[in-house]
Amino acid sequence: MSALTAVEKVLAAKSGRNSVKPGDVVSPDPDYIMIHDGVVMAAKRELDALGITRLAAPDKVMMVTDHDVIYGSARAAERGAFNRKAAAQWGVKNFFDVGRGGHGHIFPMESGLLLPGMFYFDNDRHATNAGAIGAFGFRMGTEISRVLATGTNWVMVPKTVRLTLKGRLQSGVHARDVGFHFAAMLKQEKLSADLDYRVLEYAGDLEQFDLASRAALCSTPTEIRAYGVFVPPSPAIIEHAKERGQRPFTPVYSDADAAYDADLTLDISRLEPQVSLPGSVENAVDVSKVEGTVIDHAFIGSCGSGMWEDLVTAASILKGRRLAPNVRLFVAPGSETTNRRLASEGLLGIFIEAGAVMLPPGCGPCNDAVIGPVHSGEVSMSTATNNNAGRFGAKDAQLYLGSPATVAASAVAGKITDARKLN
Amino acid sequence: MSEFQWVLKGRCYKLGHDVWHAGGVVPSWIITGRHFDPKDIIPHLFEETDPGFHTRCKPGDIIVTGKNFGMGPKMNGYIAMQALGLGLVCESMPFLAYRAAIGCGVRVMTDCVNATDLCDTGDEIEVNFRDGFFINHTRDIRREYPPIPDALMEIVELGGNAGWLQQWQAKRATAGS
Repeated sequence: MSALTAVEKVLAAKSGRNSVKPGDVVSPDPDYIMIHDGVVMAAKRELDALGITRLAAPDKVMMVTDHDVIYGSARAAERGAFNRKAAAQWGVKNFFDVGRGGHGHIFPMESGLLLPGMFYFDNDRHATNAGAIGAFGFRMGTEISRVLATGTNWVMVPKTVRLTLKGRLQSGVHARDVGFHFAAMLKQEKLSADLDYRVLEYAGDLEQFDLASRAALCSTPTEIRAYGVFVPPSPAIIEHAKERGQRPFTPVYSDADAAYDADLTLDISRLEPQVSLPGSVENAVDVSKVEGTVIDHAFIGSCGSGMWEDLVTAASILKGRRLAPNVRLFVAPGSETTNRRLASEGLLGIFIEAGAVMLPPGCGPCNDAVIGPVHSGEVSMSTATNNNAGRFGAKDAQLYLGSPATVAASAVAGKITDARKLN
Repeated sequence: MSEFQWVLKGRCYKLGHDVWHAGGVVPSWIITGRHFDPKDIIPHLFEETDPGFHTRCKPGDIIVTGKNFGMGPKMNGYIAMQALGLGLVCESMPFLAYRAAIGCGVRVMTDCVNATDLCDTGDEIEVNFRDGFFINHTRDIRREYPPIPDALMEIVELGGNAGWLQQWQAKRATAGS
């Protein structure tokens, strides 16, 4: 049997085959089927119209509430009521309603639902976060209805691109900075690879990255068209999964002689904190290039930067400080567990004392500005997944991206700031 | 099912590289306005590059494009192409654009290397999407390209995902499961 990459092994195993190769079309049997609160209504109505009222595998369905958690409108409340009824009618086993669970791309990894070696279907493209725990989540978009009805869907086995990270990040530099820098290197053609429908698999000096940092590593490649991201689970990740795991699991790793579509190397030992300039994650520059840019709006959270360690980083900067008078800062923890821990370990007080507004666990402004948006002409500094024009509010707002440390420091200073230089 | 037309013969309509779905295939407002009814989309297909396209095209006509066709993967334009009976041959597409085209039941072949060098708008083209043949009768050129994978043919035959799911449910109801 030829050597396989991790995604090829997982897709082969879930499809009952010994082996698969890129381009093969398979129908994998997933461990979960995830659907978020924003699209349940459309899927339910589509299936109801076809007379499909029973799901193939309600025990596998994970319905999460993270896109519009606190109902800023009557319409949102109506959608919430619809979702609740749908979950009951479908007999969904894992229904995470408002205030339960949190961000669907974070809490299942934290809580031991999603484990190394697993595969799941998701309506949302940020399912790539599964790579942080050594699993795969594939985006189905509106085709999630077919998965709900039949239990599977067709998947063309993607090619894999390997990115080897060399060296240790300097103190004050974050895994999100790595992603921004990588995107910029591709755009500037200093690295060459096509990520369209590829799995980006990390290799190299990965022991330094905890689960939160691994989620951060998964974020930016998704914005530049990677279909999956995979960070081979370290002993620490396996230990986490064993401690929390709600069922047995088998971690998967690529064979040493597996074939990659491209093989890239990035030295991260001298990387500086990065800021992605408005318009694209690919517009990353060293923070020093934009220091001093006055900001109005700040946000810490999203599937790329909403885990416990991200918020610890932000709190360490906000401790004993107040936000600049010109800045409003929104913080959306990734999970209810993290929220409770913020309270029990005293970090919630730090955010509130600093003047931040705590949002419920979920996507925060990063979902279509249902909460905490920017106004025309405003400048935002955030850890959102991307900064495409209009991502969270007015199209002519200027959206900068950085790590939780850079965003926290900038919110305190009132302007884009290198956290390492904050007085 | 056996009568499904995998071979289309008609006029070539050639486009260049890097055509965005929004603007290049249909106007952005069709996408943001969530228009999914072919009747609403057809009058606006390729409107910004070739106004009145829908009045001139005929079932069987083939759209031949350069690289990266349909960037910003959306379904709207493919819904119109399927309803008009058009075929699509691309030098390359972002994968999710290809998936959207298949999901809308469009006869589509991608990774057709240098296809735009083999034809011009107005040429008489014949394409066999099942077996992967591309023939330009005007220029007497014939090429083989990757056809629609076997595993995806049923979706296209049934007019896309909606038709596929409808048939799946009908079969299940008949089986009494």
